[in-house]
Amino acid sequence: MKLQRDIFLEEVYNLLKVDKSIYVLSADFGAAALDAIREEFKDNFIHCGISEQAMFDIGTGLALEGKKVVAYAMGPFISLRAIEQIKCGPAMMNLPMTILSVGIGLGYADAGPTHYATEDFACLRAIGGTNIYTASDNLIAEKIAQNSLSNGKLNYIRLDRHPTSNIEFNKENFDFNDGYRIIGEYSEQKIAIISHGRILHACLKTMNENKDLCFIVDLYNSKPISQKLANKLKNIKKILVVDEQTCSGNLTGAVQEFLAKNNIFNFIKNLSLTERYIFENGGRDHLLKLNGLDEDSILAVFKEIL
Amino acid sequence: MNIPNNLEEISKKYRRELFEKFLEVGQGHPGSVFSMLEIIVTLYYKNFIRFDPDLKKFKDKIIISKGHAAVALYPVLRDFGVMPEKEWENWGKGKESILRVFGNTSMPGINATSGSLGHGLGIACGMAYAYKKNNIDQKVYTIISEGELYEGSTWEAFLFASHHNLTNLNIVIDENSLIILGKTDDCIKLSPIKKKLEGFDFLVHECDGHNIMQLEKAFADVTGKTKVILAKTIKGKGFSIMENKAHWHYWNKLSDSEIQICRKEVE
Repeated sequence: MKLQRDIFLEEVYNLLKVDKSIYVLSADFGAAALDAIREEFKDNFIHCGISEQAMFDIGTGLALEGKKVVAYAMGPFISLRAIEQIKCGPAMMNLPMTILSVGIGLGYADAGPTHYATEDFACLRAIGGTNIYTASDNLIAEKIAQNSLSNGKLNYIRLDRHPTSNIEFNKENFDFNDGYRIIGEYSEQKIAIISHGRILHACLKTMNENKDLCFIVDLYNSKPISQKLANKLKNIKKILVVDEQTCSGNLTGAVQEFLAKNNIFNFIKNLSLTERYIFENGGRDHLLKLNGLDEDSILAVFKEIL
Repeated sequence: MNIPNNLEEISKKYRRELFEKFLEVGQGHPGSVFSMLEIIVTLYYKNFIRFDPDLKKFKDKIIISKGHAAVALYPVLRDFGVMPEKEWENWGKGKESILRVFGNTSMPGINATSGSLGHGLGIACGMAYAYKKNNIDQKVYTIISEGELYEGSTWEAFLFASHHNLTNLNIVIDENSLIILGKTDDCIKLSPIKKKLEGFDFLVHECDGHNIMQLEKAFADVTGKTKVILAKTIKGKGFSIMENKAHWHYWNKLSDSEIQICRKEVE
């Protein structure tokens, strides 16, 4: 199965065939699809060294000259290490740039907590003007690529390190620009489970076993959140938000702020990582289980709030 | 526009005008602004930053990385007709003006929003790279403070400029030897700066940053390398109350007699 990053970079590759104003910057982070760009579009690929901060300053200089910049690196470093460069560069100067952040959550479980991107959402959400996308599967990764690269905005795009199979859902009324999709059958009488990214897959068991009681909202565009979602959620009694991030400023916070702005005050339960740094070994799914974010733990919390 | 002969007088005039503006606005970064005035005057009036009078635009770019010092550009941009006169006149007089004590890209002639240290060199590298790769005859100048040599991102950008041999990039280091808490050599030693930069295979010139002839000679030197000019300057240059005083990084309140002294020194 293809990785999300390859799907995204293949889209960049295709665009480069007709648009040489695109520059792909990497802080020594690779991908199979990136190799093709490096090979065929040598002048449009810039290796910035393992220097995320310089990558954004250089990217800002390119963007000031009208270039379309795609900055690419591992999640924890492209977000937190260079956050001031993102703020003072593309954000403050209102420049279009696409930040490709790979390995969100505990994606790099084999590399320890320095390599976890478990606060990136909160940090980048706080930067003015960011548009945040999180891909839960390959279809959404592809749609994000098709819609973000030329939108003229500062996009922070969160991709998973691991393969993510496509999730079944009713495509009949699906419009990518809504920023979310409904998985399962929507009803105002049900509990809404809101999630994004790979962790959304861990919510599927809960939905499949409780089809009459809940549905899932895949909120792949979590900043800004579409106003359409307010209408969908205004009469929902209970919401469970599941996020592979620490508990401060995660997707729950984003949803709560959004609803409060719309004078909607539902019951909302947060299910996420704690603020503890995770040093245990055992792989991503093991760590998620240890921290109450596996499919059975999500099901148990769902039953609690029923 | 008519280029005046006596650039020392122009520098003094700008000191005079900027002092009055700081006085009116009641804030700003005079130490940093006054240390680089001759550098700015040389770049603009000696045509290193080339001007197209028909378009009223500069062909070459300048990034003031020591961002709060971008204020030094305002009277120059005004005199070239790039910055509307009324913006300058209104500033500090309680009237509407786009000018602030820090530059941003909403102001004509300001190429990058700056303020935080350590960003400008990387931005200048990105611009210079874009010109080089697309065979565009444009140069990029950036003025960084000596204090920015403490920022890791500056050294990351040096690596980039060196690797890509950005010959269209000119880096001026405003070396006034002072940071907020004192002398750079007493805080964390930066020297030998020249030797360190020569290690990147840059062409490094040292000169008196207040001597227009020396600056002109350094800027005029054509090489096949990225150029760095280590301009030895005096923080707060031109005002004895401010010169070489770290606390004059920020504007301080002056008594009437101090104001008179300052005015006399730039008459």
